[in-house]
Amino acid sequence: MFSAMIKKELLLVFRDKQALMALFVMPAIFILIMSVAMRDQFSVKNIAFTLFVSDVDKTQMSTTLLSSLEKEKSFQIVSTKKQAQFFVTIPNGYETNSSKHIVLHIQDSLQDNEIKAFEAIFSEYIYKAKFQAITDGIKLFSPETADKLSKFEFSTDNLYDVEYNHSKLLPNSTQQSVPAWIVFGMFFIIIPMSTIYINERKQNTLTRLNSMNISLLSLTFAKSVPYFLINQVQVWIMIAVGIYLVPFFDTPALEINGSIFAILEVAFGLSISAIGISTLIAVSANSSEQATTIGGISNILLGAVGGVMVPKFIMPESMQHMAELSPMSWGLDGFLDIFLTSADGSDVLQNCIKLTTFGLLCLGLSMIILHVRIKKGL
Amino acid sequence: MIHIKNLTKSYGKKVALENLSLDIKKGSIFGLLGVNGAGKTTLLSILNGLIDFESGVVEIDGLDIKKSKKEIKSLSSIIPQHLAFYENLSVKENLDFFASVQYATKEDYAKAIQINSLETLLEQKASTLSGGQKRRLNIAIGLLNNPKIIYFDEPTVGIDPQSRNEILDSIKAYKKYGITVIYTSHYMTEIEKICDEVAIINKGQVVEQDTLENLLSNKVSNKVMVECIYHHTLKELSFDFLEETIISTTQENLCEVIDTLQSYAIPIKQIRYGSTNLEKHFLEVTGEQNV
Repeated sequence: MFSAMIKKELLLVFRDKQALMALFVMPAIFILIMSVAMRDQFSVKNIAFTLFVSDVDKTQMSTTLLSSLEKEKSFQIVSTKKQAQFFVTIPNGYETNSSKHIVLHIQDSLQDNEIKAFEAIFSEYIYKAKFQAITDGIKLFSPETADKLSKFEFSTDNLYDVEYNHSKLLPNSTQQSVPAWIVFGMFFIIIPMSTIYINERKQNTLTRLNSMNISLLSLTFAKSVPYFLINQVQVWIMIAVGIYLVPFFDTPALEINGSIFAILEVAFGLSISAIGISTLIAVSANSSEQATTIGGISNILLGAVGGVMVPKFIMPESMQHMAELSPMSWGLDGFLDIFLTSADGSDVLQNCIKLTTFGLLCLGLSMIILHVRIKKGL
Repeated sequence: MIHIKNLTKSYGKKVALENLSLDIKKGSIFGLLGVNGAGKTTLLSILNGLIDFESGVVEIDGLDIKKSKKEIKSLSSIIPQHLAFYENLSVKENLDFFASVQYATKEDYAKAIQINSLETLLEQKASTLSGGQKRRLNIAIGLLNNPKIIYFDEPTVGIDPQSRNEILDSIKAYKKYGITVIYTSHYMTEIEKICDEVAIINKGQVVEQDTLENLLSNKVSNKVMVECIYHHTLKELSFDFLEETIISTTQENLCEVIDTLQSYAIPIKQIRYGSTNLEKHFLEVTGEQNV
């Protein structure tokens, strides 16, 4: 019986071209557009930072570093500490003692994304300066070796110590767009689900099924499974778009640093949540037009609040707190943790539990509403 | 087959059925008549185990509906007024789905197709079927579980006369399979055509239950009804038609009617003397105009 119900639902969804567009094409296009459109906003290259440099070392290496920083358009070297966002100290013995690190002081007022952007560019210059100093030194007695050395890649780890309070990692445009539009797309199952549900109710097919000894619990379960499967397919298609398609548009490919199991876990919770809220809207609405409108508006609102439309890290703090109310935000945070850090299943478990609980509560409420409506013949 | 005694059902303060009693014989085609809001749909929903009721006794095939709802559901079937199937699926996909959820046997599946002449339409998408074909599919789905009782809730709404006659003829044929049919319709002539017995429901109560013959007999009337087999030329004749195939005339004019029908080679199905029609009788009993 379940396999017949699942097959029926899948056939109906895959014959609904508008539903397919909303479920698969729309999020994929959004990922491409938003990744490319926001590429430069998330890029470090266009940001100009004010920098005060205190060169205590006054060696060839520190001088090279200072002059290269002065040439970089992203940096504006200022003469007083008050004007500077970043205060760089090149300590005495920096060139000769490898344990001596550059010290970087960061103003409290700076946003996480500004700090991360600065770090990325600054590391590059330290690396270049160190490398230049080493090759210049070797060139004096062995130009051939210096030439060979220039072909080596040096690690940029431990080049400097940073003293700041915040430790949040920031996504690039792809890392932000892919999870955001996965989450948004998953909640769009409201369109096929409500259309089928309401047609079934209006045409008395639900009553007919109910008269065939099919309980509401079986019916709800059998109707949920196909959308769960569709949601899982959506997740992996959108991830594939981020990894393979986005780079064709000169935009960074999606990198996944966390575990695959964690992705499955968040996708599970998100799907239960999306199915729950979609079922609730579908059984409460009186027409498919009403369900599509309510579903569309609620999706947009949940997405706007939850950090899908506007990344949460650029929202004011009060809005960031408000975002916690949206299930889309719970899912988005889970995916961001997986894509940006090496998050595993236990790291995203809380998100998964919140999403699943929300979804099950919505499903429970939906069953009560559906029961009442069938009894009243609505 | 169906025994109902003192059945009462209310929706809040509104009483839908009040001490309704009814007995329906096994294998009969039973017509249920009533104006909108009389309680027909509520009664069908109770008989199908879809809604509960406050008081009274409902027994179907000897089973108490309150105790054996599941068993009763499996031996009955409802043909809803709306086309309760999936327009985006083919005829076969619809039948397969409803057969699977009811664990229908291959024999019952084949019988439902054969009775409703759906053999050539199986691969066709349901949305592309004609009105009559859709109605037949709607009925076929209801036959998949080989029911002992079928409830028809106005199954001929919005279809052409020829398809309607085909459907009515197929319903008549259920008698030979021993199926009990409970039939509701706004078309009185349909009830007249196919039902053995009729109950008139008004304001939640049965105001009359009798055989069709008894309800329609009117000794003082000289009215005669001539029922023909459907023929396209019927439309061109200037008789007083009660329905597409039923002519109302008087004893004096009967000869003329028969001559005319013979001249057009229109076969006669039935002639009923001294009769009133169901609609007139219904209006007399209920005093309602809006049937």
